[in-house]
Amino acid sequence: MIEVQSWLAGLAALPVLVVAASYSNLHVERLRVVATMASALMTVIAALALVTPELQGFRWPAGTATTSFWRASWLRVDAFSAALHVIPPGLWLLAVAVTPKLRLDRTGLRRTALATLTTTAAFLTENPLVLVVLWILSLAIFRAALGAPEHRHARRVVTAYLAAATALFGAGLGLLALSNGSGRLQYLGLALLVLAVLIRKGIFPFHAWIPEVFEGGRLGPAILFCAPQLGSYTAVVLIVPHAAADTLRLVSLLALVTAVYGAALALVQKDPRRSCGYLFVSQSALVMAGLDCTSREALAGSLVLWLSSSLAFAVLTRCVLVLEARRGRLDLNRFHGGYARMPMLAATFLLTGLACTGFPGTLGFVGEEMLLNGAVGTYPVLGFLVVIAGALTGMAILRMYFSLFCGSPPPGTVQRLLRREALTFAAVALVLVGTGLAPGPVVATRLVAGEAVMAQRAVAQASSSRGTGGPSTEP
Amino acid sequence: MMPHLALDSLVLAALLAPGLLLSLLAGFAAVGKPLGERAVARFTAATMLVAMTATVGALVMYLAGHEPHIISFGRWFTWGDGSIAFDFLIDGRSLVFAAVTVLICGVVAAFSNRYLHREAGYNRYFVFFAAFVLGMLLVILAASMEVLFAGWELLGLSSALLVGFFHERRAPVVNAMHVFTVYRVSDAAMLGAAVLLHHWIGSGSLAFLFSQATASTVMLSTVQATVIALLLGVAVAGKSALLPFSGWLPRAMEGPTPSSAVYYGALSIHAGCFLLLRAGPLLEQAPLARVAIALAGAATALYAAFVARVQTDIKSALSYAALTQVGLIVVEIALGLYTLAFIHMLGHASYRLLQFLSAPNLLHDLHEIENAVGLAPAAGRGAHVHARPSAHGRTLYLLALERGFLDSLLDRLVITPGLAVVRSLDRMDRLLCGKLSSALSSRRDTGRIHVDD
Repeated sequence: MIEVQSWLAGLAALPVLVVAASYSNLHVERLRVVATMASALMTVIAALALVTPELQGFRWPAGTATTSFWRASWLRVDAFSAALHVIPPGLWLLAVAVTPKLRLDRTGLRRTALATLTTTAAFLTENPLVLVVLWILSLAIFRAALGAPEHRHARRVVTAYLAAATALFGAGLGLLALSNGSGRLQYLGLALLVLAVLIRKGIFPFHAWIPEVFEGGRLGPAILFCAPQLGSYTAVVLIVPHAAADTLRLVSLLALVTAVYGAALALVQKDPRRSCGYLFVSQSALVMAGLDCTSREALAGSLVLWLSSSLAFAVLTRCVLVLEARRGRLDLNRFHGGYARMPMLAATFLLTGLACTGFPGTLGFVGEEMLLNGAVGTYPVLGFLVVIAGALTGMAILRMYFSLFCGSPPPGTVQRLLRREALTFAAVALVLVGTGLAPGPVVATRLVAGEAVMAQRAVAQASSSRGTGGPSTEP
Repeated sequence: MMPHLALDSLVLAALLAPGLLLSLLAGFAAVGKPLGERAVARFTAATMLVAMTATVGALVMYLAGHEPHIISFGRWFTWGDGSIAFDFLIDGRSLVFAAVTVLICGVVAAFSNRYLHREAGYNRYFVFFAAFVLGMLLVILAASMEVLFAGWELLGLSSALLVGFFHERRAPVVNAMHVFTVYRVSDAAMLGAAVLLHHWIGSGSLAFLFSQATASTVMLSTVQATVIALLLGVAVAGKSALLPFSGWLPRAMEGPTPSSAVYYGALSIHAGCFLLLRAGPLLEQAPLARVAIALAGAATALYAAFVARVQTDIKSALSYAALTQVGLIVVEIALGLYTLAFIHMLGHASYRLLQFLSAPNLLHDLHEIENAVGLAPAAGRGAHVHARPSAHGRTLYLLALERGFLDSLLDRLVITPGLAVVRSLDRMDRLLCGKLSSALSSRRDTGRIHVDD
């Protein structure tokens, strides 16, 4: 029997420990070892929430619920959030295990631990005020990573977009507080929240900051910031229960268009970083596409895709970083011959890329198949955008693969994969293929999570339509 | 007692054998310890022997008195009312084609073992080859759209990766990308058909489409059947290089000869034909789609026969000759001549495989003769050469040599304008970010920024 308090303490203590250790005199390589062990342990602890039902259903303060906008829980673990807790420590592990030695620094390790802690805390809350604070914190940590002069362009773009998103988030909450649960102010408040989420998620036409920061900023922190998809989480917790069906439908349609747009633009890029950025725009849009709650299977498919795309995309981009660490900046119009000395990296890139395209045998296929069935059921013609996005993503991935891993390698350099990198990539590949070949348990948990989300929406909508202005947005 | 237990077990063994080979070869390579040539050859021979024995055994048992039926090896995953099932259709055609496929693959595996001896990518070749065998068997035996799609995707990916097998050189990789692009169009059409099938009949079962004409009549309207048949037609056109997708076929000859033989001479190019053959009952419900497919087949046959006349390398000549026959097979299927089409397909696959595999020896022998005699053997001039209208001879020759300008037409009409639109969108994104950055800065940024992680 695991106590929720112990579980929460375990989750929080490990990144805090690494932050504390970063201020000690520990050598940076030893600090990496500590961070690697902490992140691995945290991943295991986070995964316990998936297999331990008694951990799900915890709420603090007791008696709070998502259906009540302002009285939502400060801390909660439920069927929906249980699986998400694996994402931040998983990404943290990936970051510390494969960061090249030359790029390793104490501040960076501290920042990754703080980013993980912030995202984990965000996934634990459904309270809008706590969430907006965590949004600001995560943005501040990310922005700090772009502090060097050479990142100034990316920093400004990120600041412009994400400060706007955060301001809209805050303004939306303010209007909702003033609206007393009904009327135009409430409508406007929710609209501002939707806008904030669209910007944070990089949904068309608010997507341009993502490829820009991938190309001109720092890729490692960008992965940690983007891949957990805090925007999707905010949408599920704050928007999906309370927004009108038409609003959700509009978001879903925009997301479907974004999925195609991102995949198409990934196809023509010269810089693999920018291409990864557009691929992320496309992938994360697919997650949003199923959140309109009109189809149970599309919603569950989106939640499966969330897990799959976060992991697969993060590894795919890390592969680019690992290759860059050995070759310098890469150009997709040339061949770089990465396969010759690092066949395992090539295989990992291909596998994770295929997971992004929804290739059979990977978790991406499972999510895409469910999403597709749901999307076509709801929008028979527009659902085919998912198919087109998948086809374009496949082309973009294989183009990157051919460019990065085919051709002859430059002579005279030793560029083999390190043991820690190889082990990490092998573990991730195993997870992606294992969950893809036997997706039953993952699908089951996401179906339950989807049902919980739909039930919350049903309750919130019912209380809103009772005419009391409802408790849904009552401050 | 299950009536088909022994037969079903043999089918399962046939499917597991290439799956096991793929897992073994890829697994050892993934942990950084790829198997040596001898071990790869032995594992491949053993698994192909198991698959061959199993498929031939299953065929013999089926002919001895079993009825067509569907084997279900359980559900891959389920959600509410929906599920993805591991269902396989057992009937005479699927078992015969599976047996021929495994036999051909066994021959090609043995040939490849010698042909690629000491080649740097020996292990990689057999990983892709195992994926191909598994994909082919899935396509042949699939009784659900999802299994069919899984096999279809495996075929496409392994094909593209084998075209780019000699990946140190630029040309094979560029051509592999071209092949894969066409395959993605084909895959998208297939996935679209799968989704519509789910949407309209609430199931991905191919039994409705491929086995019982009456059942499909009940389940689908003519318009629905036409839409699904047309999507399947596009999927087949992409995979079997029918017009307007024929341009990738000569590009695919960049791969090793054994893979060219098994993909574009014998099996992969016929996978689409087999799918159409299975979809016969659906085509009968969709006359419009049937006409469109017949026209595509006939046009492809004419085009390929025309282009094949002037090919200067043996693999391209053989591939266009194969495409001529594929076009004819498609016409036969569209006309409802299923048995003829099936026999044509099996005969053609075997014959073309032999031609492809013996092509390197033929060239070698011709060079020997040339060296011994001191002159190139005289080329035969067929009657058609004299029959051509002399005034148009040069134009026709150029048209055939350039393969009907198919690639350049597609490039000019579809790819270039499409990419131009996408690039302009990219420029707009960059411009927007540049303006934003400038607005937040006291001085303008100049040039791109070099960054590290």
